[in-house]
Amino acid sequence: MNFTLLLPEILLTILAFVIILMGLLISDKSKNMFGYLSAAGLLASLVYVLGNGMTGKTNFFYDSLVIDPLSQIFKLIFIIVSLIAVIASIEYFKNNRNQDEYYALLLLSTVGMMVVASANDLIALFVGFELASMSTYVLAGFEKKNPASLEAALKYFIIGSISSALMLFGMSLIYGITGSTNIPAIVEFFRITHLSAESSLGILAMIFLVAGFGFKMALVPFHMWAPDTYEGSPSVVSALLAAGSKKMGFVAAFRVLILALVAIKVDIQYTFAILAIITMTYGNVVAISQRSIKRMLAYSSIAQAGYISLAFVVMTQMSVAGGVLLALGHALMKGGAFIAVAVVSYMVLNDNKNAKNTDDLGNFAGLGKRAPITALSLFIFFLALAGIPPSAGFIGKFVLFYSVMVEAASQASSWLLIIVTIAILNSALSIYYYARVIRYMYVLPPNGERIKEPVPYVIAILLAVIGTIGIGLYPEPFIQMAINAAQVLGVR
Amino acid sequence: MFSDYAALIVLLPVIAFVLTLFFGKKLYSGGALLPIAAIAGSFIISLGIFLEIYPTDGMVQQSLPWFAGMNLGILIDPLAVVMLMMVSFVSLLIHIYAVGYMAHDPARPRYFAETSLFTAAMLSVILSDNILQFFVSWELVGLCSFLLIGFWYHKPSAAAAAKKAFLVTRVGDVLFLAGIVLLYVNMKLLVDNGTLVVESQSYILQFKKMFEAIPLIDGTQLTYIALLFFGGAIGKSGQFPLHGWLPDAMEGPTTVSALIHAATMVTAGVYLVARTFPMFVATPSTISAGVPDALLIVTYVGGFTAIFAATMGLVMNDIKRVLAYSTVSQLGYMMLALGTAGTVLGAEAVGISMFHLLSHAFFKALLFLCAGSVIHAVGTNDIREMGGLFKKMKITGTTMFIAALALAGIGFPFASLGMPIMNIGTAGFFSKDAIIEGALEYGEVTHDMIPYGFAIIAALLTSIYIFRLWFMTFTGKPRSERHSHESPGVMTGPLIILALFALFFGFSHVDFNGYLEKNFELMDVNIAVHEGEAFHPSAFLVLLPVIVGVLGFLISYSIYNKRMIDMSKIVSSGNPLYKLLYNRYYEPKIGADLIGVKLTHDVVARSGEFVDRKIIDWLIIDNIISNTLFKLGEIIRKLQTGVVQNYASVTILGVALLLVLLKLKSGGT
Repeated sequence: MNFTLLLPEILLTILAFVIILMGLLISDKSKNMFGYLSAAGLLASLVYVLGNGMTGKTNFFYDSLVIDPLSQIFKLIFIIVSLIAVIASIEYFKNNRNQDEYYALLLLSTVGMMVVASANDLIALFVGFELASMSTYVLAGFEKKNPASLEAALKYFIIGSISSALMLFGMSLIYGITGSTNIPAIVEFFRITHLSAESSLGILAMIFLVAGFGFKMALVPFHMWAPDTYEGSPSVVSALLAAGSKKMGFVAAFRVLILALVAIKVDIQYTFAILAIITMTYGNVVAISQRSIKRMLAYSSIAQAGYISLAFVVMTQMSVAGGVLLALGHALMKGGAFIAVAVVSYMVLNDNKNAKNTDDLGNFAGLGKRAPITALSLFIFFLALAGIPPSAGFIGKFVLFYSVMVEAASQASSWLLIIVTIAILNSALSIYYYARVIRYMYVLPPNGERIKEPVPYVIAILLAVIGTIGIGLYPEPFIQMAINAAQVLGVR
Repeated sequence: MFSDYAALIVLLPVIAFVLTLFFGKKLYSGGALLPIAAIAGSFIISLGIFLEIYPTDGMVQQSLPWFAGMNLGILIDPLAVVMLMMVSFVSLLIHIYAVGYMAHDPARPRYFAETSLFTAAMLSVILSDNILQFFVSWELVGLCSFLLIGFWYHKPSAAAAAKKAFLVTRVGDVLFLAGIVLLYVNMKLLVDNGTLVVESQSYILQFKKMFEAIPLIDGTQLTYIALLFFGGAIGKSGQFPLHGWLPDAMEGPTTVSALIHAATMVTAGVYLVARTFPMFVATPSTISAGVPDALLIVTYVGGFTAIFAATMGLVMNDIKRVLAYSTVSQLGYMMLALGTAGTVLGAEAVGISMFHLLSHAFFKALLFLCAGSVIHAVGTNDIREMGGLFKKMKITGTTMFIAALALAGIGFPFASLGMPIMNIGTAGFFSKDAIIEGALEYGEVTHDMIPYGFAIIAALLTSIYIFRLWFMTFTGKPRSERHSHESPGVMTGPLIILALFALFFGFSHVDFNGYLEKNFELMDVNIAVHEGEAFHPSAFLVLLPVIVGVLGFLISYSIYNKRMIDMSKIVSSGNPLYKLLYNRYYEPKIGADLIGVKLTHDVVARSGEFVDRKIIDWLIIDNIISNTLFKLGEIIRKLQTGVVQNYASVTILGVALLLVLLKLKSGGT
């Protein structure tokens, strides 16, 4: 077996252990280097993934892992998000004496997500899922002295455990039905035996899996933890959760659900349509009345999950590609936006050490004057999240909505048209709460001096801006990548 | 080797834009060095590419897929390469000059960032290999001009001028876009019925493909497309009737005016017509025999603009406004050249027009920078308050005189008269002479001497207004007690370099025209030329352009230097002709007040406002939709209790709900 394709995972795992070991040996002062070390490791992995195997398919470990375009594009997302989070953390956790554990956990969670992306076996999938979840539970509560952070971590952990239990139950049911944990084998079984909608057991298994993945994707009604957790966690961790770990749910759902659904031909379209519509509307409507920007971003990312779920409704190659593209775009936009909020918190804490609710809308007043780079970038992220061209958000939504419309036309079904109309109206609705923040940033007078934006934050944010606009300006290779990824799933 | 880095021509200034915008404050002179270095890089690459492709008559073509059958690409043919060199070179000099000119402005980083982007956008217009990318860059040029004209946005007049420039050019841009859509529809039809084949690595809106499609497109459609494109050119190049924005655009810093008038923006319109020239030539002739319809309209719009703008240039007192009308008028010349010479000489017209564009770029940039130098020194724009500056500003005065000579087209056509010496003259002499000669030949062939008349009269007026400007500024007694001084070396340096170009660039005209003539042949486009008998105008006609140039000089000299006629009697508000000209034919009143204010604002905008405020807002802000959504949000928010037990219950409830949903759907067993 040729393990070179797995080098990124191997490298990051080794790096995590090295960091933990070195953390024991070196002084607290020199721990700041771990941020740079992690960033270097992630950058190397990024270059490696980009340079190798964006096409083609290779299996590892008795077919339990697979490297294919789908896994690679999601690995790309995870590595980029981690990279952005790590670069920002260099500033956020500067001089924190537990930095070694922080970076090690962050790297391990990234590895977990990457394993999920290439899982070809339910066991591997579950192990990856848990590795990523366990690490992020700790990360969410990393600010030990901050009660909000602890509360966030605890809620995340409890709901996460329930979801894991449900998911594992679903997996065991599937194993019971099919006698295999290998995903292609399961699909093959369903295809041959025509064990379809009538099987209560099959449906139950599906629902448990949807609940388990839905937890990570933050689909309504499995989303309850997300706003509390995103709000309470350190902003850099929120970025990782919203932009990275959420996408882990999607790649798992793409791999298992789409394949299985195609095989058993359950008429589950309507269920997903209802879930998607409820999720996006719920996210957008509740986001309107938020004053905490992190909560607002949390609800907006619930809404985005609703859009991406449209891919499960029509399940065409185009729509899955659209889902992948929107996931990629969302990772950049949301990751960048959370880092920008971190800059605002930094700014507010600079003014007043004991400030509470640093992400309150009021603190964004006059941000255009106080922190121009952050404000402009946030402006770009918001427009991109609202789906305004030229941005990654626009391309993703465009391909996705377009694919639903094509499907509506080819099936001559009016309900698909209604769904896509609701999605577009939702998109318009979201502009309201983004514009409100933009008004605060650029119209209202600042309530403080201009600050010097810390360089690591600026680098992290600019990375996300470049990605967001770059995909918008030059979408062709990304669309091609997403289509390649969708082809793996063998949908129409 | 340079061709591999062609993309950097645009990318370098873009990078400089980003860096200057964010870090300019910390760098020397507001970050001026970054754009200067970047544009110098663009110029060096352009020059390198020119030296590579000139000996072999080669082209640079690069292309990447963009989206949905469109591409991003680079096409550097002779036409593009000369433009690239000129734009990057002139822009470079203007940037260097701006280091001195903008030295006291606190917003320098923004200035240099924006001019850098402006240059990048213009360079991108030039090397686009398809009309869509051309249009996107073209719009970016428009946006930058808006930002730069309104650079001093705290001045209401600057903000208004920026808005006017943006809106007026927008009219042209909409026409241009409509032309692109119409072209696309036509080409798509041809592709769909198999007449036109789009190979791989080839795209539907690429210029190459477009030229291939021209003979296949229906003639009437082609005329529409060409005229819509020309509509875009009218807006950008300030041709009648969309010229109003250009003089008002003087509200920006003088260096911006120089950029807009010489290197970027206004030349884009002429470039558009030159770039799509095969299309204009291919339009059918229905109005006048032997003259393609589109070219006829280009000729008349250009010719009329040349003379119309020149008359207004005669009476303006703001030094920059005189130059602005001069630009409008000279752009009219370039259009006229494309129209007349295009009809009778075919592909050579591109060379003639572009040669005037380039020489104009040099001397007009020079004129503006000299004007900037004068304004910098005396602190006013009004030439009535200047005078006698030559003693104090020798370099500026001399270089501006050279520029004036070039603009007036002073020189002597020895060789054309059969004498054994070459023609000697300024850049403007060679370039304008060729245009006037083209117009004359056009007159001979089509028996329509009106364009020639336009050209000659405009030449006379040009000479009068530019020397009026020079004499009033630099000679006579100082008319105000201002402390004035020569500008620093960083400002006079570019002046001297540009003056050398204004003097000597003209001698390259034979090679230049020969090189550009081949432009469309390289793309396998043949432009039919009406071969008549060799054309030999009489000695008088050969000399006429020079005669009117010198005549204009003498008129200005006698009035404004020797004061043989007291202008103050003629220039009084009682003289209706003066009033008409000084008020710019009442065009701002008609255009801005009647159409702009009354029609657009009072009728269209008001009714839109009514719909928006009364109907939409009632629906969304005050009532129904928004309130419902807001309340709904509040209610749901209460569901988010923060109690983790509730969250868990909801999760389990969700599972149960899903089960019910699916069971209902499948009927249950």
